[in-house]
Amino acid sequence: MKSRTLKLREAHKVGGSAAAFCSILWDHKAEHFVTSSSSDLSIFVHDGLSPSSSPPTILRHHQDGVTALALSHDSSFLASGSIDHCVKLYKFPSGEFQTNITRFTLPIRVLAFNGSGSLLAAAGDDEGIKLINTIDGSIVRVLKGHKGPVTGLDFNPNGELLASLDSNGTVLCWELQSGILSHTLKGVAPDTGFSTSVVNILRWSPDGRILAVPGLRNDVVMYDRFTGEKLFALRGDHLEPICYITWAPNGKYIATSGLDKQVLLWDLDKKQDIDRQKFEERICCMAWKPNSNALSVIDVRGKYGIWESLVPSSMVAPTVGIPDILPKRRNEILTFDEEMEEELSASLNDDSDDRESHQPSRKRIRRNTVIDDDVVPDEEFYDEGTSYRKKSYKEKHGVRSGLPRSIAGSTKYKMQKPFQPGATPAEQGKKTFLCYNMLGCITTIEHEGNYRIETDFHDTGRGPRVSSMIDIYGFTMASINESGCIFANPSKGEKNMSVLMYRPFRSWASNSEWTMRFEGEEVKVVANGSGWVAAITSLNLLHIFSEGGLQKHIISLDGPVVTATGCKDQLAVVTHVSDCLPSNEQVMEFRVLNICNMTQQLNGRVALTPGSRLTWIGFSDEGSFSTYDSEGVLRVFTSQYGGSWIPVFSATKEKKQKENYWVVGLNTTSLYCIACKHPEVFPQVTPKPILTILNFSLPLASSDLGAASLENEFILTQLRLYETQRRVDDMALAEMDTIALENEAFDMEVSQDKCILRLISSCCNSKSFVRAGELMRLLSLEKSMRAAITLVTKLKLPFLAEKFCSILEEKLLEEANVATTNQLHNPSREAVKSKVQNFPAPIQSHTEEIPKASSAPKPSAATLVRKAKVSGLNLGKEQIKRDETDDVKKGEVKKLNSIKNPMNSVNNEDTGLRKEANQEDARRSSNPFLKSTV
Amino acid sequence: MAGQTDPHISLFSPEEVEFMGEDELVEIVPNMNMEPLNFIAGDFGRFVPQIPTQVPLWLAVALKRRGKCTFRPPQWLSVDNLTQILEAEREPQSKFQPLPFSYVEIARLLFDHARDDIPDMYMVRSLVEDIRDVRLHKLENNLGSFQGTSAVKMDNVSAMEVNLVRPFARRALEAFYKHDKPEADTADRDTRSSRQPREANNEPRRPLRQR
Repeated sequence: MKSRTLKLREAHKVGGSAAAFCSILWDHKAEHFVTSSSSDLSIFVHDGLSPSSSPPTILRHHQDGVTALALSHDSSFLASGSIDHCVKLYKFPSGEFQTNITRFTLPIRVLAFNGSGSLLAAAGDDEGIKLINTIDGSIVRVLKGHKGPVTGLDFNPNGELLASLDSNGTVLCWELQSGILSHTLKGVAPDTGFSTSVVNILRWSPDGRILAVPGLRNDVVMYDRFTGEKLFALRGDHLEPICYITWAPNGKYIATSGLDKQVLLWDLDKKQDIDRQKFEERICCMAWKPNSNALSVIDVRGKYGIWESLVPSSMVAPTVGIPDILPKRRNEILTFDEEMEEELSASLNDDSDDRESHQPSRKRIRRNTVIDDDVVPDEEFYDEGTSYRKKSYKEKHGVRSGLPRSIAGSTKYKMQKPFQPGATPAEQGKKTFLCYNMLGCITTIEHEGNYRIETDFHDTGRGPRVSSMIDIYGFTMASINESGCIFANPSKGEKNMSVLMYRPFRSWASNSEWTMRFEGEEVKVVANGSGWVAAITSLNLLHIFSEGGLQKHIISLDGPVVTATGCKDQLAVVTHVSDCLPSNEQVMEFRVLNICNMTQQLNGRVALTPGSRLTWIGFSDEGSFSTYDSEGVLRVFTSQYGGSWIPVFSATKEKKQKENYWVVGLNTTSLYCIACKHPEVFPQVTPKPILTILNFSLPLASSDLGAASLENEFILTQLRLYETQRRVDDMALAEMDTIALENEAFDMEVSQDKCILRLISSCCNSKSFVRAGELMRLLSLEKSMRAAITLVTKLKLPFLAEKFCSILEEKLLEEANVATTNQLHNPSREAVKSKVQNFPAPIQSHTEEIPKASSAPKPSAATLVRKAKVSGLNLGKEQIKRDETDDVKKGEVKKLNSIKNPMNSVNNEDTGLRKEANQEDARRSSNPFLKSTV
Repeated sequence: MAGQTDPHISLFSPEEVEFMGEDELVEIVPNMNMEPLNFIAGDFGRFVPQIPTQVPLWLAVALKRRGKCTFRPPQWLSVDNLTQILEAEREPQSKFQPLPFSYVEIARLLFDHARDDIPDMYMVRSLVEDIRDVRLHKLENNLGSFQGTSAVKMDNVSAMEVNLVRPFARRALEAFYKHDKPEADTADRDTRSSRQPREANNEPRRPLRQR
């Protein structure tokens, strides 16, 4: 064995000749390592790549020496314990101070995170080991049993067991689920007395089957996880008791440091030492670099060094063959690599946010499938892990819903996660919107472990003033309307159930807030409306509560919820129909329920742009259901074509490409949104965002007309008119007063006609005469039809004017027809009526009649009736129309005028007939003929 | 300033200039619902919470005092833009930089009433003050360069600045004219005729006000 000397670099100053207990830790990616010393207040975060060149980040939050450090599994949190009795939590690697997570009455000696990072175990000179929930800082359990200061703590990699060792040398093994002691090994480790620079330490092997404890005979003793029996001991060249043990990431090697100032490397398979290193001072802490063959050490003088390539190249590298499937120990950072981390977060998330579980790795999918099928795998790794994992899986299935995981994982693309419309994703240390709508907003910010929720109305004058609230639950979902706001949080393990809380803004009784707890299910989406509150849970249940908290209805939905929103009596719920298609298209359906009447008003599939996700749903000011997708298309559900989605707005059609629109609301003509600069998709809370109004623009084809905005306006007004008329009909059916709406509809007709007239003009300019004719037929008011005739006359298009006249005539006839059939009861019309009723037939026969009529000016019965009817209808309007028609001096138009005039001769009447004939032949060549007759 | 030697000649007091500047339009974000307001100057509104709208400065200030709106500081009133302007103004021989005609008044009113709506308020305020000082200094220098002319052309001078130098400039030009007269060797009739062009030459400065 070569004897190399390792140069150590000073990290922490240790005064005098005293020895201080120093700690060293690597993060899971080997990007940083952390050192601390019990004689120094600071914690140093060093750059793992070039520790000498870049200065370490210094964390100075403790008032006394730091005795213990621990990193969570994914290295996102660093915990430190100190002689000043505090345990502090930091973000890692930024080192931002998070919270004082707990306090003791005596110095802390040791800290350990469990596998998922949800639990932190802390112990020291105090009696009892505290298990702290890292999410809210609550103390889950205090384990009492040690008779002296606890100096060693380690969670079993699968998180079921915690082993602890005190300075008297007693090892206790706790079952975390129950808090029961599973094994007690008295006096197995050396008694370190009250020295603070020497601590007894114990470590689980990376596969969790072996517990390594320093022995009484300068050796390391291995104990079996299940029986607690001594398996074997590693005895060798240590002359004094062992004070630190660390397993190589793959569990094939173990490094030990003894009070004799040497570090030994052992091969577990051969159970013998393979290398050693002598140091000037006692090494009190060691850590394997997670992704390479190197061991970092720190001595009691605060000097650290990295022992590179300690395992000879002839042997298996310590990073090869890391136990892959078992959940890993989390407090021992050395045992990680990225692959394991992924695997861990996936399999151990019964208490962590289940968002992770939506992106499972391929490996996991396979494994989950296995577990779902309840087949006990015969791989050796499973022999102790399966029982636990199966159990945790079942628990998860209890809480979480959805399609079977094996299906969910079978495609490349994932079903969209549930979301709350108008919410922005949570960001650490920043205010985020839980809810933002046209009425107001709810924001939340984390502040020293608690959340602070503020509710603001945009209209500060009218909305009630709502005091801010300290949120102990950590709400992530909220919804607000005029009468109150509803909050909910996801469940975080068994201890923290999903909670639903309602705060009314005004109530006649005090203390009318209420909360509901959900056991075994988790609230996914909340919504509220006038007098009701809805919560949709992971069990696909829709709970409906009254404003006072009465549980009114519970409905089973037929798929996992995507989102929901409420407006007055209406509740819209969007659910998944099936898994995401291989083409990355989400399959969702929606239903709009009326909570008061207990009816379903609408249902259907949700239309989405291919490859996009739903990002917002809501009701327009007028109450039509709308959606917005991640491709920037806003759709409104209409009853046209038996219920269909109209894409009324498309962000890509908007000129400003550099902006993303975050929809807040809409009315019939425009969209209210917050414009975010391009990479940003969500708005910031401060400065307070302002709303941008964007007019609807349909994603129309670029037409040859070159009047895109007019065509857009035309379709939109048509749509609005349709919707308004439908509402008029609905109200008329319900026998309500429709006058206001009818007036509105009339105004819309007028504006639609204006739009059509402009379209006709552009059609004439681009010589699309057929299109102009079609547009002419769409005009709804007679006045505008006359205006159209005037228009084409002025544009010097006589044949078109001719055509338009015939259209007008036809229309008037139709109107008259309808009017007379509707007035069957009118006795004065009796005579006319009988003939009018079979009027359509004569029209067909007119073509044959024409020659007769022109040759012999004898009015046939049919023409007489028509004349009488048309004139009768128009008599009233005659006076008004005179002015207009006077402008129309052209001969063709005069003819039309004459038709209306009751005094006109039969001759003119005949020309009218002839015109109709021409129309049926669709021949323009008839023009000269017509002129000649006039 | 030169004009202050005889304050009675000054056309408007600073308060009056400010009053006129209050007609400038600014953008506000109301936090109340209100029907449109119909004024002689035009219709403003309607006011919908969180949707920006343009109103005259005086209305904005009145609404702000009642806590009914927040200001959106104009584009030019940003640290970046003002720093640029200040640098450009400091360049020797440079022209006056384009700024709103009543920038002093707008800035002043915003600083008084909308302190919380302006990001980096103190920085912005000191920049505006610096710009004003630099421009006044430049203006004085420009006045020093008056030659025996009947007209002076200066672009982009703001309301407050023009108001300060107007009396002096007028009298200076008059004096120049008076001294030029014997040299010009013309009769009284010509004096009158040349007076008219001078008045006419004042005209080009007017359009500035429309900025």
